Amino acid sequence: MMSSVGMDPLSQLRARRNPDGGVGSVPGGASEPEATALVALALDDDGARTWLADQVGDDGRVCLVAGAAASDRTALAALAMHPGAEQEAALDHVVTTVANDIDPNASPRGWPWTLGAYGWVEPTAWGVLALRTLRPTATARIDDGIEMLRQRECAGGGWNYGTRTVNGVNLQPYVQTTSVALLGINGRDATAVARGARVLRSRWRAEASGLLSLATATVALQVLGDAAQPAARAAVASHRSLGDPEADTASLAWAVLALRDHPVEVFTP
Amino acid sequence: MTAEDHVQTPPDRAISRRRFLTRSAGTVAAFGVAAAVGVELRGRERPEPWDHSVFAPPGTAQVAVLQASSYDGDLENVVLGGLRAIGADVNGARVLLKPNMVEYDPGAVINTDPRLVAASVAALRRLGAAQVVVAEGPGHRRDTGYVVEASGLASHLRDAGASFVDLNVARAGEVPLAAAYTQLGTLWLPTAITSADVVVSMPKVKTHHWAGVTLSLKNCFGCLPGRMYGWPKNILHWQGIDASILDIAATVRPDLVIADGIVGMQGDGPISGTPAPLGAVIVADDPVAADVTITRMMGFDPEKLPYLMEAGRFLGQADPAKIRPVAEDPAAVTMAFAPAPGFDDLRSS
Repeated sequence: MMSSVGMDPLSQLRARRNPDGGVGSVPGGASEPEATALVALALDDDGARTWLADQVGDDGRVCLVAGAAASDRTALAALAMHPGAEQEAALDHVVTTVANDIDPNASPRGWPWTLGAYGWVEPTAWGVLALRTLRPTATARIDDGIEMLRQRECAGGGWNYGTRTVNGVNLQPYVQTTSVALLGINGRDATAVARGARVLRSRWRAEASGLLSLATATVALQVLGDAAQPAARAAVASHRSLGDPEADTASLAWAVLALRDHPVEVFTP
Repeated sequence: MTAEDHVQTPPDRAISRRRFLTRSAGTVAAFGVAAAVGVELRGRERPEPWDHSVFAPPGTAQVAVLQASSYDGDLENVVLGGLRAIGADVNGARVLLKPNMVEYDPGAVINTDPRLVAASVAALRRLGAAQVVVAEGPGHRRDTGYVVEASGLASHLRDAGASFVDLNVARAGEVPLAAAYTQLGTLWLPTAITSADVVVSMPKVKTHHWAGVTLSLKNCFGCLPGRMYGWPKNILHWQGIDASILDIAATVRPDLVIADGIVGMQGDGPISGTPAPLGAVIVADDPVAADVTITRMMGFDPEKLPYLMEAGRFLGQADPAKIRPVAEDPAAVTMAFAPAPGFDDLRSS
């Protein structure tokens, strides 16, 4: 996995750990929930897990906050935490957090990027995965999230950020969002999973110039046991961004996850 | 600070931008009541939720409309001519170019064309800019690397030796809003934006199914990191799209505009519309004046866009009598764009 600048992604991620245990979105950045959670999973890093536990608020949330915007990463953080009181509090927050606080009768609700706003594919997939893996008794919320993913599935399969059509025009699926959605829905809707896997097989090469897309696709294909995974994994190993010292932390962490021999356990509820 | 200051005193821009952000700290609290009750953009007695010590009354603006029918022409000299015509002085300045790169679809005209971006880098360097970086935070795709590579922008920037900053993941910090039309209170803005001496908004000239048009002001949405605001940056729409445009543009405060109207988008923009060959590059020293002029060139009435008229009260010049065309006559470079669904009434009567 050595890159052209002599620093493999594992070493790059290790070098990015801040003294507080967390990791920033880019080299030298202040610790943030998402980057830290992905590094915790990719490196099985105790310091990162502890940092995440320290970020759990009184109401269980793990958020990045600016003014009225609270970017909620609690579900992903819960997946990366050690078991314990903080993880349980975080899961409580995931169970009680619903998207679209303007319309209490909306259904399904899913999960938002920022607290109170509409539900979207990626945060909903993380909410579903966190509960299926760590709080399977939360069946109502799991079913709600699955239903949202079904409703947001693109015509022909796969997912984009979460809009199937605009003014009657079908929008295309993306590799990255399809991959994360598949992690959430795998094992719950064989037909949607089969369509999504077909999208990944047909599109991962076309979007492979982006390390994030390629690496998330590789992880999803691995979880699905898909025959396309070895080729995608090889493409990750030789990706030019691995040699970029400024590559973003999330992409590098996904690359490390993609190069594992087996998926991390929390991705396979 | 006047509109002229934007281009006449670039060495002060870093200080001005920092001072502007600092001075705005007290603004949010002062205008909190206005935000809390909501601001009616079309109201009869509208509050003025901006800092009058920061936003002096808009002065005269310069807008250069330059005919360009193809991306294969000498765009560097087109842009250079426009910048010179408006009197842009970027000598010694650190310049940030913010194109519109929402997502990539090889069959659509969604993004500011990479050839125009590269030409603008070269033109700004010829005017003595100390540093020119290109920065964007795509609103739909979180894999910016894919968008930049697949669109061809990365290749053009490598050839030009220019760097790209992914605003969705770049270092950022919390800054107070410079206006209070939303209840966001503060913005999480990349330091690449707040530390630049000159920010150049580089929109693709497009219709927009929620905002009517998306030009230099709406383009500022892409300055906000997705890792805070999501993909899409839905909370901004949740706060009201017009109000968000005003707050974000007021806080980012683009100094210059280089708009890609060579081939714009009409109809169901900003993603699913069809090509609109307007055949022009528009360069301006005032984002409001640029957007008013371009809206008119698209065959729409800018006075029917509430956010644009509101922006003309403090953020830039919306009065046609105070917008000075310094190249082609904008009235001679027009195309009747098909409006976005629901915006038929935008058409000029």
